[in-house]
Amino acid sequence: MERRSRCVWVMLLGVFLLLIGSAIAQQQNSQQPSPASQNPQSPEKATPGEGKPARSGESAPSMKPEPASAPKDVVIKGGTLLTVTHGRIENGSIYLHNGKIAAIGKTVNAPAGATVIDATGKWVMPGIIDAHSHIALRDDVNEPTNPVTPHMMMKDAFDYEDRAIYRALAGGVTTSLLLHGSANMIGGQAIVIKHKYGLGRDELLFPGAPQSIKFASGENPKRVYGSRNQLPATRMGNFEVMRQSFQEAREYMRSWDDYEAKVKKGDKDAAPPKKDLKLEALADVLRGKLLVQIHCYRADEMLTEMSIAKEFGYKIRAFHHSLEAYKVADKIAAEGIAVATWPDWWGFKYEAWDGIPWNAVISLHKGARVVIKSDSEDVTRRLNTEAGKIIHYGNVSEEDALKMITLNPAWVLGVDERVGSLDVGKDADITIWNNYPLGSNALVDKAIIDGEVFFDRSLPGTGLTHLKEAQ
Amino acid sequence: MLKRSLVAVVLLAAAAFAQSGEKSEVIALRGGKLLTVSHGTIEHGVLVMQNGRISAIGGANTAIPKGAKVIDVTGMTVYPGLIDSETHLGLTEVSADRMTNDELEPSDEIMPHMHVADAFHAETALIPVARINGITNAIVAPSEGDTLPGQDAFIQLDGKSAPEMLLVRDIALPLNFTGRQRRNQNFDQAKFPFTRMGMAAQLRQSLIDAQDYEQKLNAYEKKKSGPDAEKAGAPPKRDLKLEALLPYLHGQKPVVLAAEEADDVQTAMDIAKEFHLRVIFNHLTHASSILDKVAASGFPVIVGPIYEQPKESERYDAVFRLPAEMQKRGIKIAFASFDAHQVRNLPYAAGYATAFGLPPEEALKAITLNPAQMWGVDKDLGSLDTGKVANVVVANGDPLDVRTDVKHVFIDGAEVPLVNKQTELRDRYWK
Repeated sequence: MERRSRCVWVMLLGVFLLLIGSAIAQQQNSQQPSPASQNPQSPEKATPGEGKPARSGESAPSMKPEPASAPKDVVIKGGTLLTVTHGRIENGSIYLHNGKIAAIGKTVNAPAGATVIDATGKWVMPGIIDAHSHIALRDDVNEPTNPVTPHMMMKDAFDYEDRAIYRALAGGVTTSLLLHGSANMIGGQAIVIKHKYGLGRDELLFPGAPQSIKFASGENPKRVYGSRNQLPATRMGNFEVMRQSFQEAREYMRSWDDYEAKVKKGDKDAAPPKKDLKLEALADVLRGKLLVQIHCYRADEMLTEMSIAKEFGYKIRAFHHSLEAYKVADKIAAEGIAVATWPDWWGFKYEAWDGIPWNAVISLHKGARVVIKSDSEDVTRRLNTEAGKIIHYGNVSEEDALKMITLNPAWVLGVDERVGSLDVGKDADITIWNNYPLGSNALVDKAIIDGEVFFDRSLPGTGLTHLKEAQ
Repeated sequence: MLKRSLVAVVLLAAAAFAQSGEKSEVIALRGGKLLTVSHGTIEHGVLVMQNGRISAIGGANTAIPKGAKVIDVTGMTVYPGLIDSETHLGLTEVSADRMTNDELEPSDEIMPHMHVADAFHAETALIPVARINGITNAIVAPSEGDTLPGQDAFIQLDGKSAPEMLLVRDIALPLNFTGRQRRNQNFDQAKFPFTRMGMAAQLRQSLIDAQDYEQKLNAYEKKKSGPDAEKAGAPPKRDLKLEALLPYLHGQKPVVLAAEEADDVQTAMDIAKEFHLRVIFNHLTHASSILDKVAASGFPVIVGPIYEQPKESERYDAVFRLPAEMQKRGIKIAFASFDAHQVRNLPYAAGYATAFGLPPEEALKAITLNPAQMWGVDKDLGSLDTGKVANVVVANGDPLDVRTDVKHVFIDGAEVPLVNKQTELRDRYWK
């Protein structure tokens, strides 16, 4: 009772501060979140996967007042639109309303007062989505103290001021999945961010995005724990650790089911089992609440991962790296699992020895959903050229190549209804390029997120629109 | 001195290239767009290869010898074989496995008597992988963990054995001053050299020791050939380490001076000047503030990797822009993959630099003629000119574009099959 009243008080204080904050912000015409506008409750509210998606300028989680510069209506005019889902529109237009794509076509009906972005002679495509990134996590990518750490929340280490977010944005990336590392068979839970560099932490979180969890396999867990003479030191150990963990999670769920059944029957003496964060997180995997993203290289490991998933009744969303996916792509495709890979990395360790640059195209032809991702602070800045390589290695269509860095990673993240193509109703996350974006010589002129320009190459300094240079 | 050194290198190269030229088939490429690099673009051109060399190049009317094998390359682009100015090809197989790596001798910072030619593994699986994107020649360098890690070799990416592929052994000596050559950074267990001061002092001392060594040798020789020959005594003990430095102290061969930050570049330049070293700069990734000084030195630069991150305070494209900024100042640049497994991506770095202002023809030059000149092999390589070695690439588009697929590679005028370990796996599983 006492706790609840304190909560209410904090909430009231929050609303009060917010009012003051927004007043100050309006006065200063500030684009920065003022400290007073930080809602003490927003971290809980903003937990992805809970509540309905909230838009900037509407309600929580973003308690910051809409920046004065954010235009309600924007029209991008005159470019070649690469829609991803319905081909090219030459000399087309897109109408953005309240951060969403409201219309797209040869011409659009936009209000007279709309801000016009002239894209004549330019290329317009959805913002790039990187389905495998470890930027903005400082050095806290791995919790390498136990091979099973599903309760690690990457959000707790999220360094939203990391310049890497900006540099990726300048390369056209508007959304990223920030994953736990691959030291552990079962790692931590990821966050999905939008690259709204310069804004506050919660404004960078992708509202309503489902929660993903990182698994790994192969040489990394073997090396990390094997070098300490701990389990796992082999692939046998790797997979047994997983089975053991899910077995414990099953028993944990059963103990709670038993307890709740007793309570339901009116048993007032029933004692609740101990709440265990780790087992709770594993239970969420078994309950299907988490998208499972698995780091793996070898074909045999992918098959074993699939059989364990079947045994314990959860689904795998994507195999990451998956350099040997081409060897078993039909089986991967049959399970509806995506292949998130690099175009041409190989040879840096034994499990990468059979990597070939045709992995993406073979997997595509066998029916898998293919993603090109970075896993690199460098490569995330130029995923467009990485997708272009798949045209070289396999002659895939423009649409297929584009999908690998837009709509397909959006699906891996569970946000394909929201982003990843130029379609009406989707978030207005759009990049404008000076040259054909799948070639070697293209630069991002503007990166737009939720209808607002966050990067503009023509500006002096960083090109950022929401960062005070003094920061 | 510079002239003398060039003559020396050219002689070495000429000897190496003399091995080639036994291939008897005459091949003519007809109808392609020839990017000559040295004298512009020829549309619908003809290029003839004979005895391992380019025997003719010109427009559609260029005579094709009778009996030549004619390959129609209409719609294709034809350009010189690409030259990668720093690789570790033949020194590594699986990066994570130490037993397959011969990239660095870590027992001392000063190891100029190491020769990568001694470790070069001609049958490496990595060379055919690099080759199918049109890379035909490369520098093989030790990695950068030592101040003087040993001498580079210049290779051709085809041949049945190491001697066939090693065109120039000991072509240059890397001189690394990036701050990463110190052995440990634990103050309590510090071992000399622990600082940049220490590394610079150690390097200077080595160069001075080599000069002294040479003086002693010369004094002995002089005495021995003079009237007091009997009093000359025993010759000075031969020291391979110091001996290895002599061609570089004479400026006969270049040192490849690797530094990243502006201050390191200048410290290393000071040392190079003190000892009259002939320099090819390497990296200069964070030295944009002193490019005018670099230009004034007249020395060329292996630029990059341009994919290095800029400093935190810098604009996102501070490093991407470097090649263009250097070229604008008249600095001769070359690109390198600085890698082994990803040598095939060399042209894409040059291509990416064009997005940031490097003219495309200059970008192509920086992976062909510029490195050929820098390494003293431009008599034979680097452009499509009559008389040069027929290292020629045919592709379906712009050589610098990631989408472009290489269709033919000729080395010494003979077509090299575009197969490797990876194409075998592709063909096995892509059914």
